[in-house]
Amino acid sequence: MVMFLMALSLSVFGLAMTALAFGAATRSQRAPEAPLKPRLELAPERFFGESHPSFHRSPNIPLEVLLLQIERHVRLEQAAAESFIHLPSPEALNLRTQSPLAH
Amino acid sequence: MPDSYPDLLKGLSAQDANAVLALGLPMTLLSGAVLFQLGADADQLYVIERGRVNLTLPMQVFGQEQDILVEERVAGQTLGWSALIPPHRFTLKATAQIDTEMVAFQRGALLDHFAAHPRVGYAVVGNVAATVGQRLQVFQAMWLREMKRGLELSRGAGSAV
Repeated sequence: MVMFLMALSLSVFGLAMTALAFGAATRSQRAPEAPLKPRLELAPERFFGESHPSFHRSPNIPLEVLLLQIERHVRLEQAAAESFIHLPSPEALNLRTQSPLAH
Repeated sequence: MPDSYPDLLKGLSAQDANAVLALGLPMTLLSGAVLFQLGADADQLYVIERGRVNLTLPMQVFGQEQDILVEERVAGQTLGWSALIPPHRFTLKATAQIDTEMVAFQRGALLDHFAAHPRVGYAVVGNVAATVGQRLQVFQAMWLREMKRGLELSRGAGSAV
């Protein structure tokens, strides 16, 4: 009976070791993980830089006035860009406008 | 061709230009009316006869979404070229700044006419390409100016630290 129990416990121990070895072997044979795809970090959506200091509203400036300033800024910038396209030069590209948002 | 023809029909004979104009339907937009929304299906091309249309993009200004002027289109100019260029979606919102009269052209009608008169189609699509190219060049220059300004600001902020 003792011999039988000893043989049984040895068998159980052997089975457990085999299972552990099999587990370890299959873990190491796992398919390599898919290559990491490069992640494109997109900046938060914004058309004109909202962080521009000139866009930080002073408490005294109503929103409507600020919107008019932005509109004027766009018109002046567009005119500057069009004059650059008409006669391209580094000077024309960097021409300063009178927009208060550009200073 | 007389100067009174819109930029879309530049380079066409008066006869060809009139044939294209005959495909259009006149329409009137009251001041403040929206012609098309950003992202809407673009199946019509427009030529302004009188008035002014604002092209805008939405921008968050202090937590509120505002329409920011990107471009203005006036009499003689074309808008809505997305109707001819895939994926046929408007990339801006168009609003009449004042009462505006225009001619609307259905994409299908234009394409059928171009198929029957390839020379006309070539000239018109060339004019559309000029409009698209001009916008690209303007925005390229505007973007570079903004980037330069951003660099100057960040350099100023860096030196202030």
